[in-house]
Amino acid sequence: MKPDSANVCIPVEISEDDIVEAMKAIPGYLDITTGDFKELYQAAFAHAVQRLTETVTVGDVMITNVVSADLHTPLKDVARLMAQKRVSGVPIVDEDGRVVGVVSETDFLSHMAGEGVRSFMEVIASCLTGSQCLAVPIEAMTAEGVMSSPAIVSSAHDSVFAAANTMFEKKINRLPVVGADRRMVGIVSRSDVLRYSLPKAVS
Amino acid sequence: MKYFSKMKGTTHSPPKVGATEILWSWIGSFLGIALVAYINYEFLGDSDFLMIIGSFGASAVLIYGAIRSPLAQPRNLIGGHVLSAIIGVVFYQILSTEPWLASSLAVSTSIAVMHATKTLHPPGGATALIAIIGSDKIHSLGFLYVLVPVASGALVMLVVALLVNNIPSTRRYPEFWI
Repeated sequence: MKPDSANVCIPVEISEDDIVEAMKAIPGYLDITTGDFKELYQAAFAHAVQRLTETVTVGDVMITNVVSADLHTPLKDVARLMAQKRVSGVPIVDEDGRVVGVVSETDFLSHMAGEGVRSFMEVIASCLTGSQCLAVPIEAMTAEGVMSSPAIVSSAHDSVFAAANTMFEKKINRLPVVGADRRMVGIVSRSDVLRYSLPKAVS
Repeated sequence: MKYFSKMKGTTHSPPKVGATEILWSWIGSFLGIALVAYINYEFLGDSDFLMIIGSFGASAVLIYGAIRSPLAQPRNLIGGHVLSAIIGVVFYQILSTEPWLASSLAVSTSIAVMHATKTLHPPGGATALIAIIGSDKIHSLGFLYVLVPVASGALVMLVVALLVNNIPSTRRYPEFWI
């Protein structure tokens, strides 16, 4: 059953055999029993999870040179910008630099292929079955016309854990990071969270 | 009853060490004890001094045989022996007429003090006990016991441990100084 929230606890199922095998690989006499080691490991692991999920902030992992577009930018320019910078979504800002929405690949798709179409494969399937293929013209529109609004945003003080939770629950791939005045200070995406979460190589 | 069920134990003995570890434990302890014993019998034989006491056999197990253990580190070896020797002599001096009481107070107080100073070293308990049990030669040393044989013997064994334990590539000593 898929959990509907990111708030799942990954159990640490380290077994006494795992510990015995590891101990055998270390040449010296280790002055601890397997039972005590397991207890210590699980407590330390829980401590680390707590530290990592709650103390690392969005500010620590966000990108600050953000690719963004203005409200009135023509869509073809938005598309070209996204292609050039190789991003799958851009925050949209107003004249004062405040984040007012986000344009993503999905927004393009749903406007080009008709209401309710939100995935690339639906478009391909529709094209391949000979029905109307990218029929709805959007050339004349601006970012304002297709953007998802209001933008779901994060603040630099939020924990990475909270940001990941938001992205998971709202099924979005990026969160513009804004200050108190809603002006953009950075952006955090799923890949930033992933990059942060992956265990570093053991040196 | 919960009290008795605690006595059942929850886990089992850790795995055995390899042959290399056994060999180097043997070599280190042989050389360490040989040195303090040689000084004791060949140089101090007829004097009022000694260089070896029973607790050094116990220290050898730790500083040559279980070198990664926190109990085997230099701070514990020197700190544990010295503090326990002082405590042992104190209780001998004030309670030599009741050796059963002096013994128990010496050992338990040494353990408590070693715990409190992070110098827990099992042979320290023996060093404290030996101050009470004697020999007469040890009794007559008074507080000098703390320096000879305790501190100096422990230092000699420590030097041997530092030199020998670091020879094999699979071993290193100590884990920490402070």
